[in-house]
Amino acid sequence: MSQDPSSINGGSAVAMIGKDCLAIACDLRLGSQSLGVSNDFEKIFNYGPNVFLALCGLGTDVITLNEVFRYKTNLYKYKEERTIEPETFANLVSSSLYERRFGPYFVSPIVGGINSKTGKPFICSFDLIGCIDFTKDFAVAGTATDQLYGMCESLYEPNLEPEDLFETISQALLNAVDRDALSGWGAVVYLITKDKVVKRLLKTRQD
Amino acid sequence: MSSDYSNIKDSAPIEHRFNPYSDNGGTILGIAGEDFAVLAGDTRHTTGYSINSRYEPKVFDVGDNIIMSANGFSADGNSLITNFKTNLQWYHFNNNEEKLKISSAARLIQHLLYGKRFFPYYVHTIIAGLDENGKGAVYSFDPVGSYEREQCRAGGAAASLIMPFLDNQVNFKNQANQPLRYLSLNEVLSLVKDAFSSATERHIHVGDYLEILIVTKEGVRTELYPLKRD
Amino acid sequence: MFLTRSEYDRGVSTFSPEGRLFQVEYSLQAIKLGSTAIGIATSEGVILGVEKRVTSPLLESSSIEKIVEIDNHIGCAMSGLTADARSMIDHARVASLNHNLYYDEKIQVETLTQSVCDLALRFGEGVDGEERLMSRPFGVALLIAGYDDINGPQLYHADPSGTFYRYDAKAIGAGSEGAQAELNNEYHKSLTLKDAELLILKILKQVMEEKLDSNNAQLASVTKDEGFRIYSDEETGKIIQELKDQEDDDIAEAS
Repeated sequence: MSQDPSSINGGSAVAMIGKDCLAIACDLRLGSQSLGVSNDFEKIFNYGPNVFLALCGLGTDVITLNEVFRYKTNLYKYKEERTIEPETFANLVSSSLYERRFGPYFVSPIVGGINSKTGKPFICSFDLIGCIDFTKDFAVAGTATDQLYGMCESLYEPNLEPEDLFETISQALLNAVDRDALSGWGAVVYLITKDKVVKRLLKTRQD
Repeated sequence: MSSDYSNIKDSAPIEHRFNPYSDNGGTILGIAGEDFAVLAGDTRHTTGYSINSRYEPKVFDVGDNIIMSANGFSADGNSLITNFKTNLQWYHFNNNEEKLKISSAARLIQHLLYGKRFFPYYVHTIIAGLDENGKGAVYSFDPVGSYEREQCRAGGAAASLIMPFLDNQVNFKNQANQPLRYLSLNEVLSLVKDAFSSATERHIHVGDYLEILIVTKEGVRTELYPLKRD
Repeated sequence: MFLTRSEYDRGVSTFSPEGRLFQVEYSLQAIKLGSTAIGIATSEGVILGVEKRVTSPLLESSSIEKIVEIDNHIGCAMSGLTADARSMIDHARVASLNHNLYYDEKIQVETLTQSVCDLALRFGEGVDGEERLMSRPFGVALLIAGYDDINGPQLYHADPSGTFYRYDAKAIGAGSEGAQAELNNEYHKSLTLKDAELLILKILKQVMEEKLDSNNAQLASVTKDEGFRIYSDEETGKIIQELKDQEDDDIAEAS
């Protein structure tokens, strides 16, 4: 149990779709088993105006994969002369993870973004070897997965306005990480609409 | 003449080891109100991926206006509950038929559980009832008898899914502008139903029926609702 | 008389043809040799009072313990072979503590009394391979005073035969006959705690051979608020003085 790479450092993330918007959020904890190490370890990264990736799992792989995807999305931009779309990025994540089928990165990623052509919000999650789980409501990841499923399944409703979506995802994340010893220590929420991205830091209990 | 198996001379010894425990899934949930308490549980009974029964009640009226459930390994759960009932009878015999207080019931259960400290009942136990002042009470126990009185508690397979929801909706955690207050019975019942339909959605060991036992000063009442069967 | 009994008073659990257990009856006699103990239950609480036989001026009277605490809400007074009471008290204390441990509540006074009486019957032959513990019945009777939330202030009398009864007021020991007669006359439901203190001392004074003082008498009370409490010698002395003043007044009034 304590040798499971995906639950050494802890951390959780969640994404939700609203009406023409989406929200993606994560906690800020980085720990070493029961020891808290950092309270500003953001797990959400941005690879274009409307493409976000949350990476939970082994801390070192989170950092490494962020660099990998920064490299790959920059190359994509040079080759294609446009920024990557969320759907495309999801497939990039999937194939990159599957490349390491027998020596995987110990991460559970969530991709969230708005398609710049269609304007449709998009989210999906993955297992550590790249199997995509497309979803139209919410996606969860990290050590508080069970708690997040319980929260989302009971709080979520479709077609929420941006501010209502923010409240819902915040409550879902906050109450879930409070019941997980390996998650918490602060949280961030990205509220993404077609023409605006708002990042908010949430105050959480510090235990 | 030799048999077909005679050429097998040195087969490796096979180890057979008896495992005294199994997990029968299911989940339970207790919430205390101002003048009532509820204890709810799904009625699905499983081993591994098999459904043994779609209706196997695990929340019981054990007498003296106390309801009890021991979720986990159902053989141990049933055994604990029958044991408790016998002990309750003895209490009545020894104490002039005096009603057992919920706090005393809790302490008794601690001893029943700790009595098997080195071969524990593999269960998460919750009892609910009314305290001496008529206020709703919920007590929850770990497998070896550590216990606490709480406003609400989820136990069993989907406890991790339901518990944060309860923190949020019963104790108003992370809702700074929401003062603490008692929930009405109708509010509690709708929370219980929401919690179980959510848990059923995401947990394979939860489903079929939701059985809710409600304690008030009038006595114990039961309600049964269908859950998804997939 | 001895001729008729001698055949049947050897074994402790042998009935005589008339259906009597002589050893038990003798044990009841042993109590009548003991110092007097009185208990009165009022609506405010229970008072226990005992006579202490200070047989020598060199005897430290505080070492005579005839009223003891069983738990915070129960106390008892004894008369008879007080050494025998040790094991009964020990048993009672264990029973009370265990009940609190198992049920997170105070044991009821009646339940406690019952458990002491269970012990009193263990003088017979061992049952179910159980080792026989006692050679004879106890030679002591107890007045068990207590308070619980269900039945309020209560007084029980437990004797060596293993029977017990609840009393409003009860006297045991050498002076019990006279004392009980006086209690029957004086007891009424509206007695206060104060009245009961005075009444007990008054009766003790009547039935005791020595002159009553704070050295040879002891009081204790069990109330809802204070639980069990043994009165200090000064406190007892004060009440004795009060009793004396009252009697002087009565004499003055009469003349």
